[in-house]
Amino acid sequence: MDPRHWLMAALALVSLAATGAFAEAPTLADKLPPAAKGTADHGKFKELQRTFKSGPEVTRACLECHTEAAKQVQHTKHWTWEVVDPATGKKFGKKNIINNYCTTPISNEKDCMACHAGYGWKDKSFDFSREENVDCLVCHDSTRTYRKLPGDAGHPVYERKEFPAGSGKFVEAVDLAKVAQSVAMPSRANCGACHFFGAGGDGTKHGDLDSSLINPGKHLDVHMNAKGLNFTCVSCHKTIDHFVSGSRYQFAASRTGPPVARGKYDDEPASCQSCHGDKPHHENPLLMERLNAHTDKLACQTCHIPEYARDAIGTEKSWDWSTATKMGPEGKPVLIKDSAGRRAFDSKKGNFAWDSFLVPEYRWFNGKVEFKTVGEKIDPTKVVEINHFDGSAADPNARIWPFKIHRGKQAYDPELKNLLVVHTAGEDDAALWRNFDWPKAIVAGMETAGLPWSGKYDFVATEMSWPITHMVAPKHDALGCAQCHKDEGRLAGLGGIWLPGRDRSGLIDTLGWLAVALALLGVLIHGGARICVLCRKPKNEGNQAS
Amino acid sequence: MLKFVTGVALGGALALVAVWQMAGSLMFEERVSPFSVEETVARIQQNVLAAGNGWALFGLRYPTRPVEAEGVSILPVMAIETCSPKYSGPILKDDKTRFLSLLMPCKISVYKKSDGKVYIGTMNAGLIGKFFGPLVAETMEHVVADQQKFLQFDPSKPAPPLVLPKVGGEGGGGGAAAGGC
Repeated sequence: MDPRHWLMAALALVSLAATGAFAEAPTLADKLPPAAKGTADHGKFKELQRTFKSGPEVTRACLECHTEAAKQVQHTKHWTWEVVDPATGKKFGKKNIINNYCTTPISNEKDCMACHAGYGWKDKSFDFSREENVDCLVCHDSTRTYRKLPGDAGHPVYERKEFPAGSGKFVEAVDLAKVAQSVAMPSRANCGACHFFGAGGDGTKHGDLDSSLINPGKHLDVHMNAKGLNFTCVSCHKTIDHFVSGSRYQFAASRTGPPVARGKYDDEPASCQSCHGDKPHHENPLLMERLNAHTDKLACQTCHIPEYARDAIGTEKSWDWSTATKMGPEGKPVLIKDSAGRRAFDSKKGNFAWDSFLVPEYRWFNGKVEFKTVGEKIDPTKVVEINHFDGSAADPNARIWPFKIHRGKQAYDPELKNLLVVHTAGEDDAALWRNFDWPKAIVAGMETAGLPWSGKYDFVATEMSWPITHMVAPKHDALGCAQCHKDEGRLAGLGGIWLPGRDRSGLIDTLGWLAVALALLGVLIHGGARICVLCRKPKNEGNQAS
Repeated sequence: MLKFVTGVALGGALALVAVWQMAGSLMFEERVSPFSVEETVARIQQNVLAAGNGWALFGLRYPTRPVEAEGVSILPVMAIETCSPKYSGPILKDDKTRFLSLLMPCKISVYKKSDGKVYIGTMNAGLIGKFFGPLVAETMEHVVADQQKFLQFDPSKPAPPLVLPKVGGEGGGGGAAAGGC
């Protein structure tokens, strides 16, 4: 047999053996224990067998046994809404930064604190030291009946109420005793109650987090797949003493090294590499070396989350505040939805653009993030970066990451050149969403923030970047080589690297084609010569040979 | 003479290869939509309902859902089904052309590709009609004219809501007229 045939047969056997071996190997789901039920039935605790009139009452009962829990929570950003950059000392966190969605909780606390893990933060007077103000139930409710609504400063619904006002829809009062007796480890629904609904609606903010992840299929997220691995958020965001790992302020952008065994100390447990290591590809022996060689340039998410918002919910692409306060034809506020039933215009908030199955934008990122803080100077002649993700091709700690870029227009002071704090939510006469009066709302917002205002306002274009890291697709649906290695591919606009298929050198291309042409010429000459030799061979010579 | 016959045969073979290669693109047409998948579908639906000539919505399908159920991450596809008894009636009535019910109701597919763009896919009803005699050819000419109207968008008009299927997957605002298709 021709040696080439032997080689091909051997390769086919190796490939088949590898495929077969991995096809029959037990999956991670097979190895995982069934969901833990815990060792305590809180329904049997006398401390909880009573009527509770408020959230703080429940917390007091919790603290009778869990004596250190509130103190632990009070050290986390879920409580402080503040993060200090250890390198610069600059304060970030929701309390200090300004975004291009609802902009800032300052002066709007009663609404925004529906997503604070506490009770009663309605203004600056909130006592961050009171342990009974910590909200245990928002993270530990397993009944999915615990609801906190905007306007209640973080308290749950104590009495049946119409929400939104005038909608004819009612939210039932929370049975606090029932919720307290049913507490459990946080589920996806617990975390998602805020993180899926940030910026006022399902899927609005992140792009890779929405309510479809409460019960997702494998196609949407291989890890959270409800019928498969069924990871909860804290499966990756490993939590110690109520400190939840993983942060958009202190990001693990380029972890290297092998996977870390669970149980062993891991300072970045929410990274892909924490479990998969930085050489994660091993199933296809013909490809694994090439794929693993990409991990020093690409974040895992870049290939394994080919699109984000991969469901009908979608995500918000832009929010234009400059059209807010415009009324409908009858001079009344209007709410207009797009074809998919998502908000497109609201007299209170302006114009929105939404979409699903979005291709990320790709940028270098080394883990360092800067945010615009309240009162910080801006350059209105350019698009204002609400946050800046540092990194370049030359930086060994940088990787190419996928991002959702949320674009918008928001109010700024054209003289003092800073983004404005606007008092939007509330029942008072200064609230923008009540009186539709920009100057009044700006005065109230800036006074609360303790910042000066020139008396003028305009709107500036802004963009805010969100690294995409959830909605991990099944491995077979990861990006293929040709998605990037081609003209006008996904990385078309990314500089600093030589990308085969995208980038080319005229000289090398010419040399290559010359080599092809010479090879073809050689084949033709060789083949032609043999044909000529055969034609010239006397006919009887062949007969004699046979 | 042999050279001539060989040349003709070779030319014919090359033409056949060319037709074979192009047949797919001739049978179907694809264009980029400036709108999202949902808005494109909604605007087409609105145009169908405004087109007259008995056109109605017959359904809205999501061909990717069964694929997703198998655990595959896949970009969205929405297939609008439309029908006009004015055009389908004569074809269905004739025994010789009744088999063309296979192509009914008419479908317009809206989908996203990995380049992030939204596309509209339609059948080249005019070309297909020419294969099945004068009745079908003439009918399809009318269908093509109406289908062109379905795909004319006015961006200055606000996005209409999707016409969603009734429970069970059928319907989508078809009404009595659609029931005849």
